Order: sequence, then structure tokens, then C-alpha cells
Amino acid sequence: MAARRDILKSSSNSLLLCLLEQQPMYGYQIVKELESRSQGYFKFKEGTLYPALHRLEESGLVTGKWQTLSNGRQRRYYYITAKGSAKMATERTQWRDFLNAVKLIIQPGASSP
Amino acid sequence: MTQELTHYLESIRYTSKLSPSDEREVISELETHIEDKLQELTDSGLSEEEAIETCLGQLGSPTSVARQIYEAYSQGSWKHVLLTSMPHLLFGALFALNWWHHIGWLTIVLSLVLGTTIYGWWHGKPNWVFSWLGYSLLPVLAVGILLLYLPKGWSLLAIPVYLPLASWWLIHIIIQTTKKDWLLSSLMLLPIPIIIGWFLAISPAGRFTEYSVQQVYSLAPWIGLSFITLALTIATFLRLRQRYLRIGLLAISGILTLTLVIYYTSGRLNTLSFAGLMLVMWGVFLIPALLEHRIRHGCILPWRRRRTDNPRIKQHA
Repeated sequence: MAARRDILKSSSNSLLLCLLEQQPMYGYQIVKELESRSQGYFKFKEGTLYPALHRLEESGLVTGKWQTLSNGRQRRYYYITAKGSAKMATERTQWRDFLNAVKLIIQPGASSP
Repeated sequence: MTQELTHYLESIRYTSKLSPSDEREVISELETHIEDKLQELTDSGLSEEEAIETCLGQLGSPTSVARQIYEAYSQGSWKHVLLTSMPHLLFGALFALNWWHHIGWLTIVLSLVLGTTIYGWWHGKPNWVFSWLGYSLLPVLAVGILLLYLPKGWSLLAIPVYLPLASWWLIHIIIQTTKKDWLLSSLMLLPIPIIIGWFLAISPAGRFTEYSVQQVYSLAPWIGLSFITLALTIATFLRLRQRYLRIGLLAISGILTLTLVIYYTSGRLNTLSFAGLMLVMWGVFLIPALLEHRIRHGCILPWRRRRTDNPRIKQHA
């Protein structure tokens, strides 16, 4: 469990940027999306999601905007910025290389794509 | 919102030490998250109490969340670094370049300090204002010293009026600053023990004489250096994100700068003065921290009063 937490901690920025690259989302939606897409593997302590999002916002990688929904409720949606997309492109390549390398070690017979 | 949730949010608000606008954003966002979560949990069949317990458990400890929020927002930009360390640099330059005896430069620097402090204080008290505020307390100290030069009868009349007024002013400023963050009070008061140390070194009898002027001439480069050390400390302070590192930096730098003062005054300060100055330096850290503790436990949910100003929250209420 601790190992999983460490993986999540070190990769949280990439995961958040990746989700926001696909569509703008608000905090609660991100938690649910991350949990369902990883089939329950990635579970944030929900309160810690917001500091992570705000760190990304302070770095100019995402931007948050309040929006009023049709039912009158308000949500703060996060959008990836151009700087965030560029960072995600670099990180995606790094992750792909890393995963291929890990695969080559743990599955010696498998070839990289 | 129930009492447990209100306390949870209040604890985050208090510990994260954000500016009022950031604070509103963060707390409102957490509120909407909690509303969504409670809705989902009660829809799944949990009672209200169970839903609140589960929700708080999944949000994580308020201390940990607040610490991470603090770290997300705490790093100052380079513009803030320059603005905050500027008063220390100005005073450092005043002595390092030996401009301290030119009334023109002295007036310019003091007017700049007072003007910037007043501007910042009336424009939302941004964090950079507190290092300027520390120096703007100097004229109050200077008035106290000038009173010693009045004819004896006048001096005896003026000092009982001055002391309570000056103390009230100082305490008022410290309380106002500590309400924002006790560490800002320490930041503001940090130069005071250094200035007192130099003053005692150049005027052992507490009076500014011809001997004192000669002493300032000979010690000016070191006085300048001590202010520049403070400027570097403040610059590093602002670039650090972690609060415990910031506290450690201020404490170590304060004590080291004071040691530098003692070293360069080469025996002009006796052991008692040194011990007294160290006590003042520790007071710079302990008094604001204790004061904040008292303020926190003495007032009931200041945020609950303030948040009614937030139109977004009004809509939800």
C-alpha cells in the first residue's frame, strides 16, 4: 500500500495533466475519473488533490475557472494550458520509455512496440 | 454544513495561511467537493453521520492538507523577493556606502520606508509589506531616544506619555500581523535585536554623542553587512516552500547575525547585553507564536464571519 502511495505521489502531476489534456474537469470529477480508469488502483486522499492542482496552477501548467452549472451549483474547472500540454508531451515520452524499459526487464521475451 | 465539517475547513483555513482571496477560492472548492461527496454517500444509503465520517476520512488529515496547500502557495516570485528584501538592502547600502550621515539620503530612505509601508498596509497587507513595517517602527524608537535629550523636567513628563503610547502602537501592529501569520511578525521584528545591538555598541550609555558618531564610521561596513545578511535571509525565506525550513532559517540567521554584531563590536557589549539581546531574539520568535496560539483559541471561527462576504458561498447557503 505504501509503495502504491509512493508511485501515486511521484506520478500525480503526470496523471492530472494527462486527464486534463483530454477534457477540463473539476476536483471531484478528477478523483472519480482517476479511480474508475485505474480500476481502483489510484486512490487519492481526496483533500490532497487540491494542493496538487494548485501547485500545477502556480506553475502555469493548468488554469482554474469557476463555472455555474445549469442546476445553479458552481464548480472550479481546471484547463490544461499550452505550457502544460508541452510538459505533458515530454512526460508522455519519458513514461513510455520508462515503461518499455521496465517491460524489457520483467518480461525478457517481450519486444518493445 | 455540520460542526465537524466546519471545524475541518476552519482548521485548514487557519493552518494554510493564505491571502483572503486565495483562502476563499480554496475553502469554497473544498466545500463543493464535500457537498458532492456527501451527496454521493447519502445516495448510496449511508446515514448523515456515517457519510460525514467517511467523507472526512477520505479527505485526509486537515493538518496534512493545509501543509500541502501552504507549500503550494508559499513560494514568492522573484519580484516579491526583491520587494521584500528591499528595505534591508536600502539600510545596508546606507551604511555600506557611508551615506548614513547625509540627511538627504536618510530622509529619502525613511520616506520610502514609511510611504511603502502605509501604501501596503492600506492595500490588503500583502506579505512583502511586513519587512518594510519593521523598519517603519524605527522612528517610534528614535522619538523615545530623543526624549532623553529633553530638559530633565520635560523628559520626566514626556516619557510616561510616550511609553504607553509606543507600547500600545507596537502591540497593536504585532497583533494585526500575527492574525495573518505569526511568522510574518517574526520577519517584521527580525531587524530589531540587530539594531538594538548596534545601538548599544555605539552608544553604551544610551546617548548619541561624538564618540557614537566615530563608532558608526568605524563600524559602518559591518552594520551594512548585517543588513545585507538579513536581505539574503529574507530572499531565501521567500523562495522556500516548507514552513519548518522557513522557521529554522529565520532563527539561525537571526542568531548568526547577532553573533556577527557581537563579534565586530569586539568587546563593546558586555555579557549581560549579549544575553539580553539573545533573549530579545528568542522573543522575536516565541512571542508571536504564543500570541497566535492565544488569538486562535480566544476568538471563535473568524472565518465563519468573513466567509459571508463571499458571494459564491451566499448562493449555496
